[in-house]
Amino acid sequence: MIDLQALTQAVGDLDENTILTMINDFIETNPSGEDAQKVVFACQQGMAIVGELFEKNEYYVGDLIFAGELLSKTIDLLKPVLSSVATQKFGSIVIGTVEGDLHDIGKNIFGSMAEAAGFDVYDLGIDVSPSAFVEKVKEVKPQIVGMSGVLTLAIDSMKNTVNALNEAGLRESVKIIIGGNPVNEDACKQIGADAFTTNAAEGLKTCQGWVK
Amino acid sequence: MTDAAARTNERNQIFRDLFSGKTPKRVPISNPATQDFAIQHAGLDLAECQWDLTKLEPVYDKFCQDFYTDTYPGGSIRIPSHYQILGSTPIVMSSSGFMQHPDVVGMLAEEYDQFIASPYDCIVETILPRLYTGFNGEPGKVAMTLAKAMRAQSDDLAHLGAIRAKMNAKYGFAGMIGALTEAPFDFMADFLRSFKGISGDVRRYPDKVAAACEAVLPLMIKKGTLPNPSMLGYTFIPLHMAPYLRDKDFATLYWPTFKKLVETLASMGQNVQLFVEQDWMRYLDYLYELPENTIMRFEYGDAKVIKEKLGQKHIISGLYPVTLLQTGTKQQCVDKAKELLDILAPGGRYWWQADKSIIHLEASGPVVENLKAVLDYVHENGTY
Repeated sequence: MIDLQALTQAVGDLDENTILTMINDFIETNPSGEDAQKVVFACQQGMAIVGELFEKNEYYVGDLIFAGELLSKTIDLLKPVLSSVATQKFGSIVIGTVEGDLHDIGKNIFGSMAEAAGFDVYDLGIDVSPSAFVEKVKEVKPQIVGMSGVLTLAIDSMKNTVNALNEAGLRESVKIIIGGNPVNEDACKQIGADAFTTNAAEGLKTCQGWVK
Repeated sequence: MTDAAARTNERNQIFRDLFSGKTPKRVPISNPATQDFAIQHAGLDLAECQWDLTKLEPVYDKFCQDFYTDTYPGGSIRIPSHYQILGSTPIVMSSSGFMQHPDVVGMLAEEYDQFIASPYDCIVETILPRLYTGFNGEPGKVAMTLAKAMRAQSDDLAHLGAIRAKMNAKYGFAGMIGALTEAPFDFMADFLRSFKGISGDVRRYPDKVAAACEAVLPLMIKKGTLPNPSMLGYTFIPLHMAPYLRDKDFATLYWPTFKKLVETLASMGQNVQLFVEQDWMRYLDYLYELPENTIMRFEYGDAKVIKEKLGQKHIISGLYPVTLLQTGTKQQCVDKAKELLDILAPGGRYWWQADKSIIHLEASGPVVENLKAVLDYVHENGTY
């Protein structure tokens, strides 16, 4: 049986070779879906270590990106085994880079971390119009909307998106978090978001607090 | 001599003093707003004006008239015409009309060895065709595409240059020229491997990353060389990836070739201006090692600490938060300018610029009035 603690540690260390060897060996044993879920959980705990090291300034954004890549590789390997069991989800988030902005690195980091933490993540991509956010919120009824942007113009687009959600009568049904270089407390108030962050790990904690 | 010519002379002297470590007669100012902002300020359509540059002369005239600045407020401009003709993927226009740089992969991880062996050949033969769809196809067609794009670019640059010359003649800005280059590691990340790609590479094949940075360094030096080093101006180097790296990756992969780049340019007699993007506070001791009078425009950081560590040797700029112009009152905006002047001006080596460029203008917002107030305040009170 796979050593789950060692796997958690390898994910925390971002030790790609060890992780892939362990996962491939595990899959060769023809595991059950339940066992595969335990492996996913061990990886999620490893991601929590990554988040802690990030907060302690031992890891930086580049490490988070690499962690996201490792995790999606791992989940892809496990998918055939996992398909037999229903996975437990903690909540759902609609995310996107707001209208006029094409920067998606921060959004992608947040998205992969939220997915790793067990959220259903609906990623609308970049340059997302307010109406596209509204349509998606109507469709999937998420608990949370995450808006991302790097340019200063993103502040205005975020405000327009919140206004559009208001007009569609959806604002009260979701929590809204904004992320990216230009956001701060003043901008958050002006936009009418519930929280802001420039740090994906911290933003994820905020979201986890909302769905508890 | 006309008034404008006299103003140019005065401003040139201020920058000559500043760049050579002397204390100028007052703190010089560069308007952080860009051409994109200027078009919106004139009430015109952003995308349309970038395609039809004949519309820009009155745009710049109003821009220069309404906002105080000592340098021409053209900013770095990405003209869409030649990018469009080339089928560019690394520089594209968004729905709002802003030219932006999405995260793209120009070089695959398995191409490192080819790149290290001959960066120039690899760029021309493998990377450009991947990044620019116009470089795919029959050689004759590619040649035509290249010719069209270069013609469009040179026409557009000539047009913008003519506007600039007129504005300089009318408003008497400092006559500065600039070159642009990147730190080798940033070049590898931004145009070749992408943010995501390089983040994996530093863990998977750090030796190849280091070798690639060394291999591309001569091209980065060449790209950053001014036509004549004695001309008033600088090589602009926008820094990107360092804040996202662990200290040890920065020390071994980012810093060595970046330092060589700045030292080489400085040794040729050129000034170098760094845009120190994001948070470099943990690297201030490294920055201290760079040649005297390197200009460092900071996006972020504690002004006092920066002044204390670097202010005796380097020229400090930036740090003024442009988002305050969107969210603050006029008084708050001016107070912030005063706070930074009080910290950074004493002893000299300070150039007023903001933490980032202002590209967007919400017509009903307070940015225009706040920006005017800040620029006027610094102009009137900017003593060392």
